[in-house]
Amino acid sequence: MSAVASPARQAASGVRARTLNRIVIYGLLALFAIFYLMPLFVMLVTSFKTMDEIQNGNMLSLPHAPTFAPWIKAWSEVCSGLTCVGMKGYFWNSIKMVVPAVLISTLLGALNGYVLTKWRFRGHTLVFAMMLFACFIPFQSVLLPMATILGSLGRFGVTLQNATGFNFGLGNSTVNLVFVHVVYGLGFTTLFFRNYYEAFPTELVKAAQVDGASFFQIFRRIMLPNSLPIIVVTVIYQFTNIWNDFLFASAYAGSGDVMPMTVALNNVVNTSTGVVEYNVNMAAAMIAALPTLIVYVVAGRYFVRGLMAGAVKG
Amino acid sequence: MAFLEIDGLKKRFGNVEILKGINVELEKGGFLVLVGPSGCGKSTLLNTIAGLEQITEGEIRVDGRAINDLHPSKRDIAMVFQSYALYPNMTVAGNIAFGMEMRGVPAAERQAAIDKVAKVLQIGHLLNRKPSQLSGGQRQRVAMGRALVRDPKLFLFDEPLSNLDAKLRVDMRIEIKRLHATTGTTIVYVTHDQIEAMTLATKIAVMRDGEVQQFGTPAEIYNNPTNIFVADFMGSPAMNLIPAKIDGNGNGLSVVLDREARQPIVLPIPGAPTGLAAFKDKSVIFGVRPEALTDPEGAERNGSNIATADCHIEVVEPAGSDTFAVTNLGGKGVVARLRADARIQPGTSTPLAFNLSKAVFFDPATEKRIL
Repeated sequence: MSAVASPARQAASGVRARTLNRIVIYGLLALFAIFYLMPLFVMLVTSFKTMDEIQNGNMLSLPHAPTFAPWIKAWSEVCSGLTCVGMKGYFWNSIKMVVPAVLISTLLGALNGYVLTKWRFRGHTLVFAMMLFACFIPFQSVLLPMATILGSLGRFGVTLQNATGFNFGLGNSTVNLVFVHVVYGLGFTTLFFRNYYEAFPTELVKAAQVDGASFFQIFRRIMLPNSLPIIVVTVIYQFTNIWNDFLFASAYAGSGDVMPMTVALNNVVNTSTGVVEYNVNMAAAMIAALPTLIVYVVAGRYFVRGLMAGAVKG
Repeated sequence: MAFLEIDGLKKRFGNVEILKGINVELEKGGFLVLVGPSGCGKSTLLNTIAGLEQITEGEIRVDGRAINDLHPSKRDIAMVFQSYALYPNMTVAGNIAFGMEMRGVPAAERQAAIDKVAKVLQIGHLLNRKPSQLSGGQRQRVAMGRALVRDPKLFLFDEPLSNLDAKLRVDMRIEIKRLHATTGTTIVYVTHDQIEAMTLATKIAVMRDGEVQQFGTPAEIYNNPTNIFVADFMGSPAMNLIPAKIDGNGNGLSVVLDREARQPIVLPIPGAPTGLAAFKDKSVIFGVRPEALTDPEGAERNGSNIATADCHIEVVEPAGSDTFAVTNLGGKGVVARLRADARIQPGTSTPLAFNLSKAVFFDPATEKRIL
């Protein structure tokens, strides 16, 4: 037996070790994926089953006779508390809250990031540090102060109503939620955009200045068109957070017609009269989760790419 | 009155003085190169001319008008950046026209201007491409096109060639020189490459630590450097700066160069600068460019002031067009530039011709030229 293994044998054992590594790694990944996807799978199959099948059958089995009835009931008939008009109204409530909140917070975050990196002023690091600090404030600690502020805004709205005949949306629960989410989201959106623009070549801004572009022209024509990855990241992040928020929604819009989806879903599931309709509950939950799922599927690869970009140059 | 005048310009960041009183001027159609090592303030100076940095003191005038308080877009300047700074989201045509668009020039006029510039720079076939689809040299052309289309009073170039590979850099250098010759524009150009400075400039300002060390034509800078820094910085290979002693023997001065384990070389200096007499029996720095130290056959035949001495050759570097030989004088390696076919062997002694009319002397204490 020679002391030195032949190159061919070394290569062969290298390939075997690599194959084994691959099997272990992908095996573990598959296991974790199954673990995470199992609840989604159960929800999905249950939402297409009849109550009989749920009560008598296996939780994991596929539906024998798939039915859309639970989905239809969840969308237009299910009872949330005492009103039985389905989830559709609350779904639109959420949309009406999420879309403006995401757009405004993303745009303001981009503007903040632009100023904090390309138009630096004395104390810009302090301002950024304080905005960053806003990311770490727990939701619960701002509940009461925010309620006071929203109350004042509401009273101001009444004053405006009396003076001009129009309250400019002040005091409206949806407007309140948009305001809360914009304020709370600014820390995160500013962080995202600042880190992205930190690595954005300043010479482009200088060139645009020499070309005669103004502050906002540079922002609109140079910065924003080159920010797609970070815009996608911010939109996904803000959309998911705001759509899934329950605390602010239940605190500031917790009852009546203005409830967002999350609060309504909670009320549907907690309604305790008669048999618990698991299939309808699951369908309602799926409806509540669908928009965020769609956003991830459509823009997910940008999300990963954008987060990596921020991680390498930040 | 010069076209571009920079008058007592100072720039401070907090307590740190970046530019310490710059005085430079340039005639219309001139080509001023600011050259110096990194951190010398040359790019900051260019940015103050562009208006991208505010100045602390002094004045910048173009065509008699003070521009130092104007916004960059109001100064009638165009700038080419080191990274080209092409807007990645716009096509080449969009990039070139952006400045005109911001000024509200009508679309038809913009198109005509784009076509004209594209013809000059031969980038007509690239107009609809995005910058990411261009090669380095093409990006460079587009960046110049963006500046040219404005037809400004003053062009500013910030190290425009430093991102190109060596061959392309030489091509683009010639291109810029040709462009300057045909359009007659006034240019301020920043570089750390002394060859670019020598080949392009009509005037050079050599900078160090926020001060202009010397300001003059390329020939003045090269042949009559005012101090050791300028002498060392300009020229490749660099000027030989040899510690030496001045000796007087009755009717004239001579320079004494020590050699390891051998008799020192003594070279008489007829027509020595008048200031040199004060350094009799003292140390000086003897500066001689490699091309002024050559094989006797290659020396200028009509040079009035050539002295020959045997030197021990340590290293020979054949570079194709020339042969460089390294010898040791005054405790330093000294480079001589010989003809390509000079017969020379390392480890032997060979006569070298010193062209003393091209030699310069510096005071080792102040590092200034002895005149």
